[in-house]
Amino acid sequence: MRITDLLKESSISLNKSVKNKMDAIDTLIDLVDTTGVLLNKSEYKIAILAREKQGTTGIGENIAIPHAKTSSVSKPALASMVIKDGVDFDSLDGLPAKLFFMIAVPESGNNLHLDVLSRLSVLLMDEVFKEKLINSESKKDFLKLIDNMETEKFDDKKEDTKIETSYKILAVTACPTGIAHTFMAAESLENAAKKQGTTIKVETNGSGGIKNGLTKKEIQQADCIIIAADKKVEMNRFNGKKLIQTKVANGIHKADELINRALNENVPIYSDSTPYEDTQDEKESAIRKIYKHLMNGVSHMLPFVIGGGILIAMAFLFDDYSIDPSNFGKNTYFASLLKTIGDTAFGFMLPILAGYIAMSIGDRPALAVGFVGGMLANSGGSGFLGALLAGFIAGYIVLALKKLFDLLPKTLEGIKPVLLYPLFGILLIGCIITFIINPPVAYINDSLTNLLNSMGSTSKILLGIVLGGMMAFDMGGPLNKAAYVFGTASIASGQFDIMAAVMVGGMVPPLSIALCSTFFKNRFTKRERQSGLTNYIMGLSFITEGAIPFAAADPLRVIPSCIIGSATAGALSMAFNSTLRAPHGGIFVFPVVGNTLGYIVALITGSIVGMIILAILKKPIQSKNNI
Amino acid sequence: MKTFSYTITDPSGIHARPAGILVKKAGEFKSAITIKKQEKSGDAKRIFAVMSLGCKQGDEIIFEIDGNDEDIALNVLQSFCKENI
Repeated sequence: MRITDLLKESSISLNKSVKNKMDAIDTLIDLVDTTGVLLNKSEYKIAILAREKQGTTGIGENIAIPHAKTSSVSKPALASMVIKDGVDFDSLDGLPAKLFFMIAVPESGNNLHLDVLSRLSVLLMDEVFKEKLINSESKKDFLKLIDNMETEKFDDKKEDTKIETSYKILAVTACPTGIAHTFMAAESLENAAKKQGTTIKVETNGSGGIKNGLTKKEIQQADCIIIAADKKVEMNRFNGKKLIQTKVANGIHKADELINRALNENVPIYSDSTPYEDTQDEKESAIRKIYKHLMNGVSHMLPFVIGGGILIAMAFLFDDYSIDPSNFGKNTYFASLLKTIGDTAFGFMLPILAGYIAMSIGDRPALAVGFVGGMLANSGGSGFLGALLAGFIAGYIVLALKKLFDLLPKTLEGIKPVLLYPLFGILLIGCIITFIINPPVAYINDSLTNLLNSMGSTSKILLGIVLGGMMAFDMGGPLNKAAYVFGTASIASGQFDIMAAVMVGGMVPPLSIALCSTFFKNRFTKRERQSGLTNYIMGLSFITEGAIPFAAADPLRVIPSCIIGSATAGALSMAFNSTLRAPHGGIFVFPVVGNTLGYIVALITGSIVGMIILAILKKPIQSKNNI
Repeated sequence: MKTFSYTITDPSGIHARPAGILVKKAGEFKSAITIKKQEKSGDAKRIFAVMSLGCKQGDEIIFEIDGNDEDIALNVLQSFCKENI
């Protein structure tokens, strides 16, 4: 951390005159206060004076370095002062203090102040430099002197005192949908690292692919790796490094703890061959493992479903029903084009789901096996459930084959992935799906479809309430995902009202919060009101995650109001018989919604209900604290 | 020339207070005294040289003492380390 990162012009004073040591300290504290890092100025002063009592910080050679490491400081900061005539500071060598640096570091600073002192000392060893500083004409010159000296002393490659420019901690964040949690965890970890005075680089495995990838050199030089992921991340490259593995949610909410562990504790070393056991983290339960495999399949499947589904929906929008009702969707040329492309994309849904579930379990060799299993489930009529089962079965088949073929001589190692796994894997899954899975599951699938089709309107409304509530309950978490996957799976089997209820349920939370922050301003802080505006866009785009920061800050009030609002919207959507063929798109796919008017009413009503309940539950913030 | 090494046990490392006392003590001797931490080294009689090493808990430092009073200096500095850092 550079001195010039912590020292700003506003916290430098060059021509003050002070009466005595106490006066000097007070002036410096005021300068530190201008940086805004002091949570409690009087507490900080107490800490500074306590340090002085231990022994004067007038360390000689005209320099004084009062400092304090205390919880009343939010972020590290420096202040500096020059008193040309000097002031008596009880210095060790008896000389008056002319050049002052006051250091403020937070409690969790990990002895950051020692690093700062060390850095300052390297610079101040130089007598000429010291004199130049004391005689600076302006604050700009003062800072420039330090900046140039820092570059000279530290960034120079020939210098044998090498201050590391490499990263101490590396992290990888990855969540299944890859939209919000991945980046929230990354930001959270970066902030925590900054607070504890260490360097971090975070690779994000989001929906847009890998950003900020970690290089081999960086991995080599890093002290510790943190993996905050709910889906599979490439692990081979971390062989031999200290590694902490945890879920994305911990990356968001427990970032401080993770960084602290990475810096201070004995973290187990990751090894490719031996099973990884991090005893501090909750041992991955079987359910969590299954969830991870499932999410790997879902996250790969979604783009196909979304792109294909929307195109199909658009085909219906642009087509003419009257030409040939039985061929609706392909009657006109343009619609036919859209529908063909959309159908093709959509058709990949089940094989991809099965393929990537399998790959999460059994790695590369399992991909083909899962793919074929999913394809057979599709054509055999066992639908989503069948593909799901195919994925898991395929994965474990490949694991079993791996164990079995381990007995073969080493020379055959090469043909395993090329010949043995594909051949036997596909044959096995093919037989299993065709003879064992398809018959019963196709039956289950049909019964479920019939059940949903024949549901009375009251039951449908109930279903709408439940689905809406699930979408708002954990916004991006397992319940939300389950409801969403149910919605998309239902499209594949011809029920479109379920997706409609699911989507409207997911649009309500951000909209309720946005509405509340607009019409009931005094319930929110200024910063919250600003992010309230972005929530309009989030809600209308069906990105439920926009509500998460608000839910996290005030769960007991935000979550119930959102649940009730979403449930209302879901119920109304069902009551109006709204249907939706597209699995995503928010307001942009409203044109393809069946009974759009009713749907809009459902959305508005649900959002307003959520807004009112939230406004009732939240208390107006006292204007004094309203920054 | 005499040398001795010492591993720092104080959680705060060589912070300003012990650094000041160390410099004062080292200054009382005629011998040249250098503190080494890995590749870095500093004159033990100058406060900034000592602090610039940034010695933390667990670091091993080596004292090099060269001069007529090197034996006394070694004893004094060794006791200093044990008592203060």
